[in-house]
Amino acid sequence: MKLQGRVRRPKVVLGILLFVLGSTIVICTTIGPAPIGPVEVLGILLGRVPGAGGLIPGGDWPETFETIVFQLRLARVVLAALVGAALAASGVVLQGLLRNPMADPYILGISSGAALGASLGLLLGLGGYALGIYTIPLLAFLGGVGTAFAVYALARVDNRVPVSTLLLAGIAVGSFLSALTSLVMVTSGSNLHEVIFWLMGGFAGRGWDHVKVLLPYVLIGFIPMYLYARELNVMLLGDETAQHVGIEVERVKRLMFVTATLVTASAVAVSGIIGFVGLIIPHAVRLLVGPDHRILLPTSALVGAIFLAAADTVARTAVAPLEIPVGVITALCGGPFFIYLLRRKKDPGF
Amino acid sequence: MGKIAGAVLKVLDVECAYGANKVLDGITFAIEKGSFTGIIGPNGSGKSTLLRCISRVLKPVRGVVLLDDRNVYGLGSRDVAKLMAVVPQETVVNFPFTVEEVVVMGRSPHLGRFQSEGKRDFEIAARVMDLTNIRHLAGRPVTAISGGERQRVIIAKALAQEPEVILLDEPTSHLDINQQLEILNLLQRLNRETKLTIISVFHDLNLAAQYCDTLILMQEGRIFALGTPEEVLTVQNIKAVYSTNVLVNKHSITGRPVVMLLAPGRQKGIAQAKIHVLCGGGTGTALLSLLANHGYELTAGVLNIGDIDWEVARLLGLKIAEEAPFCPVSERSHEENFGLIKRADACIMASIPFGHGNLKNLQAAIRALEWGKPVLLIEEQRIEQRDFTGGRALHLYNELKQKGAVVLRDGIEVLDVLPKLLPRKDTSDFPKTSLKKI
Repeated sequence: MKLQGRVRRPKVVLGILLFVLGSTIVICTTIGPAPIGPVEVLGILLGRVPGAGGLIPGGDWPETFETIVFQLRLARVVLAALVGAALAASGVVLQGLLRNPMADPYILGISSGAALGASLGLLLGLGGYALGIYTIPLLAFLGGVGTAFAVYALARVDNRVPVSTLLLAGIAVGSFLSALTSLVMVTSGSNLHEVIFWLMGGFAGRGWDHVKVLLPYVLIGFIPMYLYARELNVMLLGDETAQHVGIEVERVKRLMFVTATLVTASAVAVSGIIGFVGLIIPHAVRLLVGPDHRILLPTSALVGAIFLAAADTVARTAVAPLEIPVGVITALCGGPFFIYLLRRKKDPGF
Repeated sequence: MGKIAGAVLKVLDVECAYGANKVLDGITFAIEKGSFTGIIGPNGSGKSTLLRCISRVLKPVRGVVLLDDRNVYGLGSRDVAKLMAVVPQETVVNFPFTVEEVVVMGRSPHLGRFQSEGKRDFEIAARVMDLTNIRHLAGRPVTAISGGERQRVIIAKALAQEPEVILLDEPTSHLDINQQLEILNLLQRLNRETKLTIISVFHDLNLAAQYCDTLILMQEGRIFALGTPEEVLTVQNIKAVYSTNVLVNKHSITGRPVVMLLAPGRQKGIAQAKIHVLCGGGTGTALLSLLANHGYELTAGVLNIGDIDWEVARLLGLKIAEEAPFCPVSERSHEENFGLIKRADACIMASIPFGHGNLKNLQAAIRALEWGKPVLLIEEQRIEQRDFTGGRALHLYNELKQKGAVVLRDGIEVLDVLPKLLPRKDTSDFPKTSLKKI
């Protein structure tokens, strides 16, 4: 019997997606207001690859082109891809752990915690370069991680963390912190614009430094996520059922929460709050490849990367020189696409 | 239960609590390898908790659970999962895993930390899917199959664990009767063919009686009774644990006990009254249970051993004037019958068909009237239609009527008429409103 929505050869799919991701990054890098042609971009990019420098003839572009392509565009595209992968993968893990369709990476209050941290920082005028570009990301990261752990601790009953209390604790703490953030915004005066811009999320002005901050979290975080994919599958049948087939449920839950929290918080720290990616991508990919986390997780990460890299390119070029917040693009693209998927398949995953 | 040496599972003096709420107390029993044990009891008696305790979910406050002589709570969850599988009441699967994928998940405890399922695991999955008759569903999403099929999938997943013991918590309570039987027959087959030890919580006493060789009856966190279905499912035990009046009969095919519910008693009867019931051939079955349910002290006769009414009377624990199977009433049993009538306050004759063998019951009734005891005749069928003695029964029956026997249409009427005919006995628990009627 042919399986609907199932991938016969996961490795082929992953290979294709990797290729698509590479192409997307290159294509996105060629797009921009500066008049730099695709061939020159390719030349600049290949020039950075050892041994591939001479593949493209020419090389007579000005130094500024090199800076624009490599320092500005490529860094930003790579960062967007990393954030997309981080959010999508965390979304997969949290939706699986919580067995809840509304779960996304922000369910544990990471976004509201990060927002409060970042807006407090901006209110106090710490956003300037004087204290380094890491100040706001660090505050956002701490706010996000702190909130997630507080929610987890609040939801804990008798050394267990029931899904329902976790969701409720997340909502309660999230609303409380959002209220505090609003309070901060009201009193932030001239910094209000900055706060709002941060909250909407985006990659404007981000560079390789941000990539360096995020990359270790994403790479290290993906390892446990992937290694526990089989356990995550079984846990979809319920905590006790998983325990009955020998899975240390609470331990896996704890490990996955910590991992997803760190990965999400680091992504939020460098990019602000970008919605929809962590909710929509796992859903859409699950409809396409099925619920098995061993394929769902890497596929979602790749699709998330491709999606956010492309979305950010649209955000910065569609009405240039003005930038649309990337969250607007993700919502505008993601929403209708998701509805289409839901309507097409009468039996959605959730 | 037998000897504890062959036990695969031992529960020793276990006490469990949810917070300060003690749910299980002093539970001790042993499960023999290859047995089929049912855990029964009212809601809240601790059945499911006991199962959770055994399955390493709820750690007992006191006592131990030994699986193959090893403490379940001292073993890792994977080690336990290799020996023991659990099938919950209902498994909600919201994700469209295929049937095969779910079954293969049962291989988890046998896989290393970072290992994926191999060829052998899929072979085992295929085998248990054959056993549970779901092979044809292998590629279907579990979200798109029926409840009965899904429960078979979960059982297959449990079997894929290759356990020695399988625990089930009311595995069929959400299913239609045909699916219930399908699942239970499957379990029975596995139990008999593969010597799989099965422990299951049952809500339905009759299903438990039908399939289990041992029953554990729970009451308020303790074991009230433990033994074969015949030993455990007695009228007295059920009355004590469920506060419900039942009639326990024998299944006519399997010989297992069958529990029949009786309408809740109106408690209008005079508990102290002794009633002798003349019946046989099933005519007294309902009547005996009805009267017993209303607190009357009963005797019965003359009944052939093995007769349905004899079984009922025996299960109700009555004194019976009995006769050898298929034999006509002898002088000896006739005398016994007289003896019982003499001690009774009233005599009721069920709508018995009369042949030459049981004519003496009519004579016994006449004797009752002569002794001044009220006699009630239940005439569900006209006497002419049940006289197989060429008029002799009819003659005796008419004599009964002439001498003052009261004729009633059915057994229910007995409850209304009987108190009015009985000699008045003043008792404290006898309601005054009823006394006025007399």
